[in-house]
Amino acid sequence: MAMSFEWPWQYRFPPFFTLQPNMDTRQKQLAAWCSLVLSFCRLHKQSSMTVMEAQESPLFNNVKLQRKLPVESIQIVLEELRKKGNLEWLDKNKSSFLIMWRRPEEWGKLIYQWVSRSGQNNSVFTLYELTCGEDTEDEGSPKVPVSTRKEGCLLFLPEFHGLDEATLLRALQALQQEHKAEIITVSDGRGVKFF
Amino acid sequence: MHRRGVGAGAIAKKKLAEAKYKERGTVLAEDQLAQMSKQLDMFKTNLEEFASKHKQEIRKNPEFRVQFQDMCATIGVDPLASGKGFWSEMLGVGDFYYELGVQIIEVCLALKHRNGGLITLEELHQQVLKGRGKFAQDVSQDDLIRAIKKLKALGTGFSIIPVGGTYLIQSVPAELNMDHTVVLQLAEKSGYVTVSDIKATLKWETERARQVLEHLLKEGLAWLDLQAPGEAHYWLPALFTDLYSQEITADEAREALP
Repeated sequence: MAMSFEWPWQYRFPPFFTLQPNMDTRQKQLAAWCSLVLSFCRLHKQSSMTVMEAQESPLFNNVKLQRKLPVESIQIVLEELRKKGNLEWLDKNKSSFLIMWRRPEEWGKLIYQWVSRSGQNNSVFTLYELTCGEDTEDEGSPKVPVSTRKEGCLLFLPEFHGLDEATLLRALQALQQEHKAEIITVSDGRGVKFF
Repeated sequence: MHRRGVGAGAIAKKKLAEAKYKERGTVLAEDQLAQMSKQLDMFKTNLEEFASKHKQEIRKNPEFRVQFQDMCATIGVDPLASGKGFWSEMLGVGDFYYELGVQIIEVCLALKHRNGGLITLEELHQQVLKGRGKFAQDVSQDDLIRAIKKLKALGTGFSIIPVGGTYLIQSVPAELNMDHTVVLQLAEKSGYVTVSDIKATLKWETERARQVLEHLLKEGLAWLDLQAPGEAHYWLPALFTDLYSQEITADEAREALP
């Protein structure tokens, strides 16, 4: 899956892989790293990663340049992303994380717009329906054949390209916070009602 | 010593001699002035004729422009002296350089966050040409230097630093002294410099070298690389040749807008 990913100029600049001592320069550097991480993960459709994977990924390890961002610096970049709302730690040890190139609130807004536009306020969806069985976490679930996919298959709509189930859940939680949706329990799992 | 006698007489004589010289000097000066004035008028008329004949050429052809400017310089005329006035109105040369100055400022603003306000003349040239598009008038490096000198005179903080046969243009007034500039010149070859490089080439003490490099880091002109073989390398984004091929990104273009 060789993507024609366009690396930014910083990626070929050797000092980019050293945490800069000058604070102003460091700010620029971290901003560039955050941007790079998000576009890399978006293009490679990577919604979660472990820190171990990250260390060896071409993202932080430029083999050709013989430079790699040390793990302590990677942690700093990840913390920046977390502060911006694009990253969530999946475990207490901070060994794996969810990476969201669009923040859950932003996804939530798009979802709510779609719901309103298609006149589906006050309708209930099971999470399964929303994802049309594209359950990225559960390999065993049967795939819903194309012909039976309803209008509610969020993850197949072009505007939701790149939205995975874990992020979808957080987007719905964000909507719930704004009282625009409510996550409910249905017979075989979870569902959501939009207001 | 007969002070009075010698003193008074000598002084008087001296004064008389001075007066005579002065008179002659004045006469000479007036004469010369009249002659020079006539000559200048002649020059001016000829130059006017020349300028009107070759106005198009001056605007279109960078080489021609250089020669024209040199010619003006030899008779002490600066076509860019003021916005209004004979020359800039006559030729529109002033406008040309004014517009170019604005373009230069835009490019420098857009790239400032990358290179700390330091850019090679080559890269500036490339970026300016790109910005002008295919059908605009051609612009030479000489044109850029002239425009920058004008900007400098206007107090915009621009300065021109000679390095290895070319120039570095500083658009943000960072405090750079001789030591700093000399190290920049050293870094020009490979885009980076080390303490060892400085000690070997400039024969400085370690501390002096370190101080300069620290200053460059502080001014945002250099980045630190601790994974280089041997010792720490200090890279200057402005000199990082690979950057030349980089387009100005949308974010950077936004930065250039007022």
